[in-house]
Amino acid sequence: MPEHTLVGQRVVRIDSQAKATGEARYTADLTLPRMLFGKVLRSPHAHARILHIDTSKAEKLRGVKVVVTGKDAAGVKWGVFRYTRDHELLTADKVRYIGEDVAAIAAEDEETALEALELIDVEYEVLPAVFDPLEAMKGGAPQIHDHAENNVNIHVPIEIGDVDRAFDEAYYVREDRFVDTEYTYCQIEPYAVLASYDSAGNLEIWTPNASPHTKAKALSNLLEKPLNKVRVRRINTGGAFGGRSDIFPGEFIAALLAMKAGRPVKMVYTREESFTSVRQAHSMVVDSKIGVTKDGRLLASEIKLVLDGGAYSSTGPIATSVPFLVWEETYRLPNARFNGYRVYTNKLVRGMYRCHGRAFHGGLGMQLDMIAEELGIDPLEIQLRNALQTGETQATGSRIISCGLTEALEAAAERSGWKEKRGKLPYGRGVGMGANGMMVGFPMGIRGGSAAIVKFNEDGGATLISGVVDNGQGNESMVVQIAADVLGLGMEGINLVSADSEVTPLDQGAYSQAATFVSGNAARAAAMDAREQILDIASDMLDALPEELELKGGKVQVRERPERNVWLGKVIRQALIDNAPVVGKGSYMPKVDQSREWVSNPRGQHAGTFSFGAVVAEVEVDTETGQVRVTNVTGAHDCGFAINPMAVEGQLEGSVASGGVGATLLEEHVWDGGQMLNANMLEYKVPLSVDMPQIVPIIVETIDPEGPFGAKEAGLWGSMNMFQAIGNAVYDAVGVWIKEFPITPDKVLRALEEKERGS
Amino acid sequence: MRGEGSERMEKRLIRLLVNGDQHDVAIWPNETLVEVIRDRLELTGTKMGCGEGACGTCTVLVEGRPVRSCLTLAVEAQGKEIVTIEGLAEGGDLHPVQKAFVQRGAIQCGFCSPAMILTGKALLEENPHPTDDEVRRAISGVVCRCTGYAKIVEAVLAAAGEE
Repeated sequence: MPEHTLVGQRVVRIDSQAKATGEARYTADLTLPRMLFGKVLRSPHAHARILHIDTSKAEKLRGVKVVVTGKDAAGVKWGVFRYTRDHELLTADKVRYIGEDVAAIAAEDEETALEALELIDVEYEVLPAVFDPLEAMKGGAPQIHDHAENNVNIHVPIEIGDVDRAFDEAYYVREDRFVDTEYTYCQIEPYAVLASYDSAGNLEIWTPNASPHTKAKALSNLLEKPLNKVRVRRINTGGAFGGRSDIFPGEFIAALLAMKAGRPVKMVYTREESFTSVRQAHSMVVDSKIGVTKDGRLLASEIKLVLDGGAYSSTGPIATSVPFLVWEETYRLPNARFNGYRVYTNKLVRGMYRCHGRAFHGGLGMQLDMIAEELGIDPLEIQLRNALQTGETQATGSRIISCGLTEALEAAAERSGWKEKRGKLPYGRGVGMGANGMMVGFPMGIRGGSAAIVKFNEDGGATLISGVVDNGQGNESMVVQIAADVLGLGMEGINLVSADSEVTPLDQGAYSQAATFVSGNAARAAAMDAREQILDIASDMLDALPEELELKGGKVQVRERPERNVWLGKVIRQALIDNAPVVGKGSYMPKVDQSREWVSNPRGQHAGTFSFGAVVAEVEVDTETGQVRVTNVTGAHDCGFAINPMAVEGQLEGSVASGGVGATLLEEHVWDGGQMLNANMLEYKVPLSVDMPQIVPIIVETIDPEGPFGAKEAGLWGSMNMFQAIGNAVYDAVGVWIKEFPITPDKVLRALEEKERGS
Repeated sequence: MRGEGSERMEKRLIRLLVNGDQHDVAIWPNETLVEVIRDRLELTGTKMGCGEGACGTCTVLVEGRPVRSCLTLAVEAQGKEIVTIEGLAEGGDLHPVQKAFVQRGAIQCGFCSPAMILTGKALLEENPHPTDDEVRRAISGVVCRCTGYAKIVEAVLAAAGEE
């Protein structure tokens, strides 16, 4: 391998300049000739049968071009898995949540489309609805789907070892319930979609997304069109966080409108619609029982998880399993029983969000501290005793090929002054610790891998073609940095063509933390292939063996005698003359057990590798108001290798906002039955600059044997470990455990009052 | 069409001064500044994140001050000097705040960046050497969901140091 020239450097991302000048385009910024504007009529009822829809008045309004209803959708149902196809993206017979898509209009302008919505008459038969997953599971609750008895959408059972015996043998056992309310992505870019359809039957889609190939496949199924006629194009995406992954009604409806009108149709959702009608996070009830040895080692873990899934499956089987998987990816669990239930309710569909960590990992991480306290062990010590290590196998069978969890825990403790602070700060101030392990990708069948191509121009410049997707984290820049490093070019030497379902090879997308590990590996392999071809041709030109050559600064040179060199452009030209044009090709499929299945077979290698992190949060609790303020966050993340340390830091800092201050202290939806009461950014509180603590991000490098240059992932750290760190810090500060997320002032005050009454 | 039936509201011709250019545009009286900037002038660098003044991504400078263009009627902005993100770089050179955002990794998804950069510029013109706290307060009206604000604050402070 050549020495690194670019990877590991704090390089400026390739997308930054265009984003700093306003040049970068997002979906809502696009305009096509003869473009129409679409609007969706949404259900005002949480659960109702649609008896009749009359669109005749709307159709007659001047400026209205087409109207679509469930009749145009042909009753096709969508689900990510064959066994979860329960969602008619434009419903024909029944609505199951307030805000569900009932009909849509495309008109010459947005105002006309809005006016026309009011002219559609829908006759509903209102049905009894259910909004709480525990209620929905009881006999006699309204049944939301005919196929799902007791409204259970998914049940994932996992049993490892002899759990009952292990509990009998445990020195100490405790059981706790942790709950949280719904919260959401609140990506700063509202949902938008532009669809265009031509007379040859080609459909083009622009929409903020985490995977154009996934969207294209779903649309291909739903519209019964071959994949080469469904083209999801690259477009800048204003944040995803798991909420732009599967197909949404918007893309399907925009496609139907464009196909029917024969003209492009753009739909830009209001912020309210982005809250009520795309996706949000699951809320959950977690019953966790843990048994430990006298020295705090986990002997047995039994968990019942009930997820509120909302009206449809979405990525249900994944969502139902992933919380447990993250738990087993962090700690050694010799005996474990998990029963995950995802339950239908009459609310907006729940999607993937940060591995569903709030009540689950927040709760279990607090339970570990409770146990440590009971046994008189330092919480850092209980973490270290249970932390997985390189070479170990997780409960359901994944081997860990690189693990920096211990190092991360020690670094976070050391840099935060843990020993000096834990239990020693004045009343009202405290520190708490959290840790996490994280799958880097997971089995997704044919869509789990990535391929890339590098081609060259006769001036020595290259174009990298990769399916990699960037939602803001810097994945585009990452693959360019990797390929440029291998080819001895600068960042500007490589142009990137990415995230286009027609032009770029299949890629899993910015999903499951896999982009660096999988797409980065594919880009590296393609560049290595091109490099080999270049050195081969240059070896004749320089009269040297290929292994004596290196690529540097746009030249091929003899390593020991760099004055013997040839311009890369000349090599490329020679290759053309020789009828051997340089085209590098590479791919990567993570080494996972492809027979593993979320529900039917949760056994075997789950991910190619795993990342690990630890964090210490310091808080101040105002005992008068109940307000918790995070003042300092010090954390370490084993990302394998930081290809761009600046980008890795950005990921860590961002997750302190979203997972830490936001998810742990502020963010929640408020409901009246099925009506979301705070579907706006004035009342749905997200962290602002003034709410943020000082952050010390520490990068731990374990140089993963499989990752590109040893890299793994950097996206899921604080979003998985801040809940428990803050929860534990609140206990350290004022001596109460808050078992309900988010930890809002009312809960803190109530707990303090109860504590006072009790003592 | 605006209002209940086309005859009830009439378009008005207004003159806007944006990034030093004069634009005469026919608009509905209830059009907001963000609508006119984005849809009529095609300056789509100004974003719209909520439409109710909560997220700050529609921030533009009016007479040098950051203003939420979704809460401003276009007619109110007549005769005032408006600067959008497209008007910041001079002769192809990035403004120091833009440069600092690019070099310090303060941009991730980029949707809030135009508003953040304009807000940072306005702050530095009023207060060339702000503290960390002052920067945080100045940008607290713009929501970023990606960065945790750390590198944004760092970039504004770095730009202050260079001026």
